[in-house]
Amino acid sequence: MGSTKKMAPLAGMAAAAMVGAWAAEASADVVVGAVYPLSGGVAYDGQTKLNGAQIAVDEINAAGGVLGEPFVLEVEDGACNPAQSVSAAEKLITETNVVSILGAFCSSSSGAVMEVAEKYGIPHMTGVSTAVTLTERGNPWFFRATATTSLLAGAFGEAIMDAGVSDVAFLVVNDDWGRAVAESYGSVIEELGGSVVATEIFGRDETDLFPYVTNIKAASPDAVITAANTQNAANLTTQLRQLGVTVPIMGEGSFSSQAYLDLVGEMGEDVVGLVEYVPSIDSPENAAFVEEYVSRYDEEPTKFSAAGYWTVNIMADAIERAGSTEPEAIREALAATNYDGLTGNFQFAENGQAYNFTVYMARISDGEPEVIGSGQIPQP
Amino acid sequence: MIEILPQYLFNGVLVGANYALIALGLTVIFGLMNIANFAHGQFYMMGGFMAYVLTASLGIGYFPAIVIAVLVVAAAGVVLDRLIFFRLRAKPLISSVLVTIGLSILLENLALLLWGPKPEAIPSPFSKMPVVLGPIFASEARLFALGVTFATIAAVHVALRYTRWGKAVRATFQQPEAAALSGIDVDRLYAACFGIGAGLAALGGALLGSIFFVHPTMGGIATLKAFIVVILGGMGSFPGAIAGGLLLGISESLGTLVSSAYKDAIGFILVILILLYRPDGLFRRA
Repeated sequence: MGSTKKMAPLAGMAAAAMVGAWAAEASADVVVGAVYPLSGGVAYDGQTKLNGAQIAVDEINAAGGVLGEPFVLEVEDGACNPAQSVSAAEKLITETNVVSILGAFCSSSSGAVMEVAEKYGIPHMTGVSTAVTLTERGNPWFFRATATTSLLAGAFGEAIMDAGVSDVAFLVVNDDWGRAVAESYGSVIEELGGSVVATEIFGRDETDLFPYVTNIKAASPDAVITAANTQNAANLTTQLRQLGVTVPIMGEGSFSSQAYLDLVGEMGEDVVGLVEYVPSIDSPENAAFVEEYVSRYDEEPTKFSAAGYWTVNIMADAIERAGSTEPEAIREALAATNYDGLTGNFQFAENGQAYNFTVYMARISDGEPEVIGSGQIPQP
Repeated sequence: MIEILPQYLFNGVLVGANYALIALGLTVIFGLMNIANFAHGQFYMMGGFMAYVLTASLGIGYFPAIVIAVLVVAAAGVVLDRLIFFRLRAKPLISSVLVTIGLSILLENLALLLWGPKPEAIPSPFSKMPVVLGPIFASEARLFALGVTFATIAAVHVALRYTRWGKAVRATFQQPEAAALSGIDVDRLYAACFGIGAGLAALGGALLGSIFFVHPTMGGIATLKAFIVVILGGMGSFPGAIAGGLLLGISESLGTLVSSAYKDAIGFILVILILLYRPDGLFRRA
């Protein structure tokens, strides 16, 4: 089963290399840089993001490019390592002369790249990094086309309470994101009259979660809210069910991804993902995107693929409206964005945070994530 | 809380038996052969991936796959001993530390290259549904791993205590020169022991890989826990590895009753206390 999947990253890298070669030949092109993790621990996720971005680039060029010129995405590997991401961004800005920059996936890397973008006065946009602090730094060149954990908590709080939940337990991974999930959702749920009966924080490398799960079982919650990546997510789902915890499991992270579904099997039934994107969103734009993605890469797009797709589109749209590749003009056009994409309408607030788009609750039913509810990110 | 106490104890025994199994192999390699094997967790990882490849890719049954996985990694251990560790026998401990750290990086990246970073599940005939034993919830895979672990521990113990070969092993590690003089093929025995140590780690990986998942970086934490257990139990002592593993597992599990965030800290405090009062560990070298 695995051979085509294992080939996909190679094919993607080859595609990226070809795009690079093309950029070097024609200098009149509109060249945008991207720093994605294509090696290291998040290489698979980064690759799916590049796959989505590549579809957007090809669609834009098929429709005549940007400003009448071919649109080029020049990709560098940042490996989700801040130091490597910074040198990748430096290289893209100073050697390739990109007009704007996308990435760098992990919040710590994006936080480092945004300093480089500010130094050179180049617009920078992320579609994945969720650390709240990024948009609090007052960097006018930075835009975030995704929700933060606290925005997601705000959007989902009522839907969670409407599902008949009042006592929640948290089971989250021990990093900034996991702790932010426990804090943000905890305060939203307490404001709405619910209570937090247990908060368990496990290490990313831990596999046996029975001790934490036993504590959760002892607290008898109405629902378990989690934050976990693929492997932790599958482990905690299986172990909650094996210890006889039958209440709903809801989580941020990989709870709707194919890799998670493959690992967790039938134990994943009824688990609810709190996510920015699911392939089963019912709209013609999304259906076309999913069809193209599956035909190219032989697997369903991840939320990162979708983010790769919409960030490229938002950036290309801004350059087109700016009418030039002048960084300040692009920055002003980005700030005035009004883009309709896979997950609704994107606009940017003063601090560069996107709003107005839709986020989803997706429940796994017969092994497929199915949208059961949604929320809209309000204007701050 | 009291009605759920048996579950905490059972969790501790499960984790502890896992620790003991991984530590058994290291007891042979580190405790007896004096090779500080920092690649031990990577043998464990290789065992998991071998079982995965044999079942998921080659379609071999789960039980034979575990046996083959253990034999393949054990054979690799024998080859590594003849190629590398043979040359390090009279060298200071630091040489084996450096070589095995290098080996661990090599094996981890080899696995990353061969199988990619995505975690994989080993297909097994076990149901994932809970098994309820009175107040305790478990799963078939966990109970199977527990049974195999205790059977393996008993088998290794009997082999060392009561067989002619076991006597030769014990003689060699007490006094290699005298053992060689009395006709024991010491080089072959060292190679066999390294193979057994690697094979025991692989068994741990194959069993735990079917409870959880296998992925290239699963070895690091296994190495760490194995060293703690071996030192806690007493270098080279089999009963020590078993008691040390169970003690660490149960204390971590009961620690979560106090605070799950301090679970690991409680385990380490216990290790420090025991080593303060018994610097040689729980059991002295046999």
